[in-house]
Amino acid sequence: MNALADRVADQGVGSIFLYTHEAHPGEHYPHLTSMEQKFKHAHDLRDVLGVTRPILLDSLDGVCHRAYGSMPNMTWIFNRSGTPLYKSDWTDSNSVANAIDYFLDVIQRRRGKERLAPFRVERLDFRNQDREAFYKGLERNGPKAVREFQEAFD
Amino acid sequence: MAPDLLTLYNYDEFIPAKFEPWMRFDQSPPLGEKGPDFPLTCLDGTETRLSEVLAKNTYTIVEFGSFT
Repeated sequence: MNALADRVADQGVGSIFLYTHEAHPGEHYPHLTSMEQKFKHAHDLRDVLGVTRPILLDSLDGVCHRAYGSMPNMTWIFNRSGTPLYKSDWTDSNSVANAIDYFLDVIQRRRGKERLAPFRVERLDFRNQDREAFYKGLERNGPKAVREFQEAFD
Repeated sequence: MAPDLLTLYNYDEFIPAKFEPWMRFDQSPPLGEKGPDFPLTCLDGTETRLSEVLAKNTYTIVEFGSFT
């Protein structure tokens, strides 16, 4: 997602990471109880996990996150006036890239004087499911995070 | 006493009873209609709003997530 953000930045596309609650709390990164702690975790998202996009924090009660569906890692694309044009219940850079390239082409089509009207489309996209990498992430959160995920799904 | 929203939202255990209530994508705002606006805080502590962030570019990609 960082690479995508960099690729489209000079085409009028901004990218942000909106910080929510902790999806998989563990001993090293526990569930959030203060904004001070949220700031610390968000700094680590940048400094440890390497997110280079601007990180913005939702309120501690997740009012924005909850309003937009409160999934643990979803991605939305908005236009300038705040209208959502794309929403995905998980995040996959291929899917987001496909969508943003389509929307950038819409701008070109309008410049070519094509008359366009919006319509809704539904599509099933596919994301990488690298279990080994995912479990490495859970281990970073703490053994509790690993154990609870295994108990919930494995 | 019933747990408050802060406690429920910031669940302390990844167990279905605590995380499943937040899987509400089917209730999320529809595409093509202006979405709700909320205050957000930048990493440097500056206060802003989602609308102010979105107004800066033709399109904005917003990834929701956390360290964990």
